[in-house]
Amino acid sequence: MLDVRNLRVEYRTAGAPYVAVHDESFAVRAGEFFTLLGPSGCGKTTTLRSVAGLETPTAGRIEIDGVPVFDGATGRAVPTHAREIAMVFQSYAIWPHMTVFENVAFPLRVKRLPGAALRRQVDEVLQMVGLGDFAERPATMLSGGQQQRVALARAIVKDAKVLLLDEPLSNLDAKLREQMRRELRRLQKHVGTTSIYVTHDQDEALSLSDRIAVMRGGRIVELGRPLDLYLRPRHTFTARFVGQAELAPCKVVQAGADAVLVETKLGRFRARVNADIGARANHLMVRPEHVVFADADADADDGTGENMLEGQIANILFSGKLVEYEVQTGQGVVSVCAASNVLRTLGEAVRLHLPPEHCVLLTDGEGGGSLGDIPGGDAAPAGPGNRRTA
Amino acid sequence: MSASTDTARTRLALVLGRWMPFAMLGLMLTWLVVVPLVILLVGSFSVTGLPVDFFTRGFTLDNYIQTYSDPFFWRMAWTTTVFAVCSALGSLTLGIILAWLVERTDLPARGLVRVLIILPLATPPVLLAIGWIMLLSPRTGFFNQLLQSGLGLSAAPFNIYSLTGMIFVDMLALVPSTFLILSPAFRNMDPNLEEAAMTSGARFHTMIWRVVLPLLLPAILAAGGFLLIVGFLVFDIPGAIGMPVGIFVLSTRVVYLATDAPTGMAEYGLIASMAIFFLVVLLLIAFGYQRATRRAARFVTVTGKGFRIRPFALKRWRWVAFGFVALYFTLVTIAPMGILIWASLMPWFAQPSWDMLQHVTLANHLDFFNNRRAVRAAQNSITISVISATAVAVISIIISWVVVRSNAVGRRVLDALAFLPIAIPGVMIGVALIFVYLTFDLLPIYGTIWIIVIAYVTNYISFGTRASNGVMVQLHSDLEEAAMTSGARWGRLMRSIIIPLTLPALVAVWIWVLAICMRELTSALLLQGRGNTTVPVLLWGYWTGGQPNRAAAVGVWLVVAMLFVIGLWQFMAQRSRLSGVRE
Repeated sequence: MLDVRNLRVEYRTAGAPYVAVHDESFAVRAGEFFTLLGPSGCGKTTTLRSVAGLETPTAGRIEIDGVPVFDGATGRAVPTHAREIAMVFQSYAIWPHMTVFENVAFPLRVKRLPGAALRRQVDEVLQMVGLGDFAERPATMLSGGQQQRVALARAIVKDAKVLLLDEPLSNLDAKLREQMRRELRRLQKHVGTTSIYVTHDQDEALSLSDRIAVMRGGRIVELGRPLDLYLRPRHTFTARFVGQAELAPCKVVQAGADAVLVETKLGRFRARVNADIGARANHLMVRPEHVVFADADADADDGTGENMLEGQIANILFSGKLVEYEVQTGQGVVSVCAASNVLRTLGEAVRLHLPPEHCVLLTDGEGGGSLGDIPGGDAAPAGPGNRRTA
Repeated sequence: MSASTDTARTRLALVLGRWMPFAMLGLMLTWLVVVPLVILLVGSFSVTGLPVDFFTRGFTLDNYIQTYSDPFFWRMAWTTTVFAVCSALGSLTLGIILAWLVERTDLPARGLVRVLIILPLATPPVLLAIGWIMLLSPRTGFFNQLLQSGLGLSAAPFNIYSLTGMIFVDMLALVPSTFLILSPAFRNMDPNLEEAAMTSGARFHTMIWRVVLPLLLPAILAAGGFLLIVGFLVFDIPGAIGMPVGIFVLSTRVVYLATDAPTGMAEYGLIASMAIFFLVVLLLIAFGYQRATRRAARFVTVTGKGFRIRPFALKRWRWVAFGFVALYFTLVTIAPMGILIWASLMPWFAQPSWDMLQHVTLANHLDFFNNRRAVRAAQNSITISVISATAVAVISIIISWVVVRSNAVGRRVLDALAFLPIAIPGVMIGVALIFVYLTFDLLPIYGTIWIIVIAYVTNYISFGTRASNGVMVQLHSDLEEAAMTSGARWGRLMRSIIIPLTLPALVAVWIWVLAICMRELTSALLLQGRGNTTVPVLLWGYWTGGQPNRAAAVGVWLVVAMLFVIGLWQFMAQRSRLSGVRE
């Protein structure tokens, strides 16, 4: 449905041009909910605006439903109003001089839809977003959540091939965001429009998307299903940016077909996830909630001492559903997340087990070619992934 | 159609789209702003001062030598500087006090006070000067005579015909503008910033010195720069007060040389060489002004978050402060307007007294409505003001859109060209336009209302574009882009989104330009011909021609018209703030 090939966006600055998007390629399937996820300045919004035609790329090619809308080679650039897209802005961009109805009706008025059909379609969409009774309200007399719905309705009513959403939930408070997230997902499934969603919020990305492209410094680092990106990330950046991760630099001791033995400062570990990376692996990762306390799991200790750690509970963060323990081991601190059914006390001596089937091998740059070759001068965001552990 | 011609056409359209706005608007601004200045410059190097002679009779420096070797010129430049600096400082002080009282304290009747402060905008400066001459003239001034007889003084205590007198009246005349520039800065300052200083342990005076003043400094500097420019170029007040007794400032000297030169011929050579000095000084101030305002923009603390201002409690000083405001209003409106109304009702010039009440007559007022010249002047004023205001508003919004929103080539040049006229006084525009239209016979508009329209459009385009730039910047670009992603083309975008959203502000600009065009004297005076007399020029003619009572009557009706327009302006400004372009 949407095909982006070798997209490159540069901004002219006083010195060397600033490259906002490096040669970026991806394809979005019809009906898919596709998310561009990354820290601010990673080029995700620039990519979206290039698709909308609000930004003119330097090179590359963008096709919407088989129709080229931008082609750097021929200089073809279809103006925004003629593209098969609809967009929801971060600021909502509700026109303050129009009523709710007029705001939503605008795309249809531009299409010169006759009055009765227009009325029916607008009403239908307003019902869909739960604003049926608000049609005649001035748009400025709405709460943040309601403005958000108007913006969404205005985009849906256009019935374009691709729906573009630029951080639409970031201006809402936490509770409302949660609610709108569910609603957005429901609406998208209902309408079935191909959607491109931009966000820096990994929870939003994981819960909404069919697929996610993780971006950093103008490049796609990794692209995949939410499940895969969380459980089987291949890059340290993805591991850190999507969810909480315990990472340790490692050296491969012995690489096998379905398991790799690595040496870290915490000890020796056997890892089964991403075993195909083999000798190139340079980081070991485990999610805090996948670490188990050995005393709570009978099969944890197989007697070899492999994948085992000993330490004391140094800090406890209680958040209701989960409890996060910081365990001080001889070589460093390891975070462990556990359900709140068994509570441990500060200073308690514990043994930890890192199950091999949850130990993930990562590379930070090699192979994928996405991270290692970012030049030093590039304005890569100061995200957690930038901390190189030698 | 093959793909390659299609592409070539797109490319051509893109290039044209980027160049066209600059070409069209640039050409217009060049004609309005650059050509007069160049002609003026050329004229200053020509024997007679007329540019034509530069091409036929060659280059000369005589004008410069004659102007700048004359000690009288340097004394005059000094007088001008003293006049400009002192009246700017005076009105800045008054403006700061009034803005603080109205915006940040519990002054009684603040709404009314705000109106009282802005109201004097309706009085053209020349009228204010005439009013104060009637009050403080050493021989016939009403206040002087009251004080003299009341205190038994042998001589009049005040003499309005002095540099001090000029500064006093100019200071009063500038206070409303100062207040209008400063009060948003006082109003928009987030009280959290003050409270943060206080919770950090700062005492009141530390807070004022370390937090409040530094935050307001850019706005104060901007106001100061504006006042300095106005002080350097104002003609009306020094013209009415100083010129009759030979106290000249640059602007009055230029008008004097153009209309009243001892040789009987306008001294265009001297005028042009003097005008260049003017231009240099004013450009320097304008440059400083623009830098100050740019910094001011960076300081803007409008967060969009609503905040409630906790007014400073004046306690027992409340009524003292109110008295101060009342005194100001008396000095700037009640006293001068009172004497003008009185004079307009008198058959000859006489002091207010019970005896004279029996002579009250409406003859002067009836004359204004029946006299053909007066009616013609009123028609001219209205026509000129409406056309100029409309042109300024339309041109400004287009220039602003190109400057702020488009990616057109040369948009910064356009912005600078549109800003330049702020440094060109009405006197100079007047002189320059005489030069242009005496030199080129292309447009036979010399002596018609159209030459005045051109002068006004040139003069007020800087104000118009500053105002519309501000509105355009406030208008979040998402609102436009949302229309584009909804499928709207440029025309639709302008019609449905940009114009409706900027209309209230645009109307406010329109009315404001209308108001200043109606009261403008200098350019109109210099450019007057047989058929283009405006109301202020008529008034000036009566006054300098020894008919103060008729002048007063014309003045009263001019103020009435101005009050109406200013009321409308405030109303629209209020509405545009209410319908506020929110993000």
